[in-house]
Amino acid sequence: MSLVLEVNKKQKGKDSWEEPFYLNMGPQHPSTHGVLRLFLELEGETIVNCDPIIGYLHRGIEKLAENLNYNQTIVLSDRLDYISSAANNVAFALAFEKLLRLEVPRRAKLIRTIVSEMARICSHLLWLATHALDIGAMTVFLYCFRDREWLLNIYERICGARLTHSYVRVGGVRRDFEPEVIEELYRFVEEFPKRITDYETLIDTNRIWLKRTKNIAVVSTEEAFNLGLTGPCLRGSGVSYDVRKFRPYDAYSEVEFEVPIGQNGDTYDRYRVRMIELRQSNWIIKQCLDRLSETEGEAVLAENSPDLLMPEKVREVSAQPHPKLGVMFKPKEKEIVPVGEAFASIESPKGELSVYVVSDGSSRPWRLRIRTPSFVHISAISHMTKGHMIADLVAIIGTLDIVLGDSDR
Amino acid sequence: MKSLVEKVFLIEILRGLALTLKKLLFEKPVTIECYDKVIPQSYPGFRGRHALVRSELTQGPICVACHRCERVCPSKCIYIKTVEIEEEGKRKRQLAQYAIDASRCVYCGYCVEVCPVNALVLTEFYQYVGENREDLYFDQERLLKNWDEFIAKAERPYFNPFWKPKGIPEELFSIVKRKAKGV
Repeated sequence: MSLVLEVNKKQKGKDSWEEPFYLNMGPQHPSTHGVLRLFLELEGETIVNCDPIIGYLHRGIEKLAENLNYNQTIVLSDRLDYISSAANNVAFALAFEKLLRLEVPRRAKLIRTIVSEMARICSHLLWLATHALDIGAMTVFLYCFRDREWLLNIYERICGARLTHSYVRVGGVRRDFEPEVIEELYRFVEEFPKRITDYETLIDTNRIWLKRTKNIAVVSTEEAFNLGLTGPCLRGSGVSYDVRKFRPYDAYSEVEFEVPIGQNGDTYDRYRVRMIELRQSNWIIKQCLDRLSETEGEAVLAENSPDLLMPEKVREVSAQPHPKLGVMFKPKEKEIVPVGEAFASIESPKGELSVYVVSDGSSRPWRLRIRTPSFVHISAISHMTKGHMIADLVAIIGTLDIVLGDSDR
Repeated sequence: MKSLVEKVFLIEILRGLALTLKKLLFEKPVTIECYDKVIPQSYPGFRGRHALVRSELTQGPICVACHRCERVCPSKCIYIKTVEIEEEGKRKRQLAQYAIDASRCVYCGYCVEVCPVNALVLTEFYQYVGENREDLYFDQERLLKNWDEFIAKAERPYFNPFWKPKGIPEELFSIVKRKAKGV
């Protein structure tokens, strides 16, 4: 509301021809990818200032988690970045496993790597589809959704849900792959590189695409660090930083892949980085599938992993009788999980997703803090849009690849 | 020279158009034209509409009213009422009413997994709507009716993959679950 008052104050006593034009873009605008509201100060069609306003999708996930046990919290993580639920599940599970000091079986690690790379492909396909549609390429949109549908069908076979998977569990995964799923994944892995070539044929050298993306929203290496960008946005600016390489989790230490980097840090470079990442993800899935046959028949859940229904509070009766009063029932609260804190971060498709959890010994997290990439990236919009046209704003929102469920939590 | 030719003759755009034309002429369409005739079927294990398994013996639910599903539910959408009855001098707990509010459910399937007697199932049926809130509030009768509707079309014996997930160590399941062969 304060913004509206400010506008009124600014507009008072000024010649109507000289005053800047104020425009609200969103929260219902289709190309803001959700419920993002942008308060624009325009001069003609050039953006002077852009204030992103978030909070329209706030559900209080961090607070909700304080009333749910560790396994139930994973269900909440599906709703963060709802395009790549599996990756979020992995982040939560990793933090909780560090807290509980669990060792995940190798087969579960491989399966987690496969599903989180599938999530990356899903997310990047949806990004490419909507980004291309915003800029004006309709065919890419249709092709990408066709291929994403294939992956969603595989997800449905794996875990019974297409969008909110809740597939990962503290200590492993919920269900082993069926043999048909592995066959289908092999078919996908063989076919998918051809599909990427199709997208590249359509837009990679297309002159309209180049004009809309080259030298738009250039972020230098230093600026990218200062803005706190992570993921493909940071790599597009020429920084070779990937959590999968620097702090390998799950099975990433045993697979080979390359980290693509851009040179100019413009929208086109970020597009190229993501396209190469699609191929790399495909390669990682292939390697993991090959290794999956080595661990045939192994359990996918650690033996000492907590039950889905964790006990709320365990009271122990003190065994030693009191010398005078006889047996004393002094209830002593037993720790279900160790008291302490744990931190885990993963390379989610959008950037670095970190989870920090503090435990007080009960089965519920005492405090859960989530650092989501979209929230940080939205704050960079203001810097990146300065001096650009209003039509480029749509391309900038697209290139940052934001999801409002992720940012508002 | 080459770049000039590419610039003048719109090579890259023609290449893109050739690709879409090729796909249009020689590839099978992926879209379904008539939804009424071809209904997409979900894969086994899809977490869809809730149902309570109807027991062959008692024609009622198998549920033993242990409240495990009620406690594991992240969105607290399962409501169980129990009554205490006296039978042969022993006090017993019996299920009086079982209800699920489907409009609150998040379809995680935890309830199916923790049930010690395989009484609850998220069926593969997904095409259901409600015109008001009461339509999506499934009480015990409604849940049993859902099961009848589902099992009439499904293959017998039916076994839900979440009753005993593949790859989970056997000792984590109850004895009933370990022996279960389907209904």
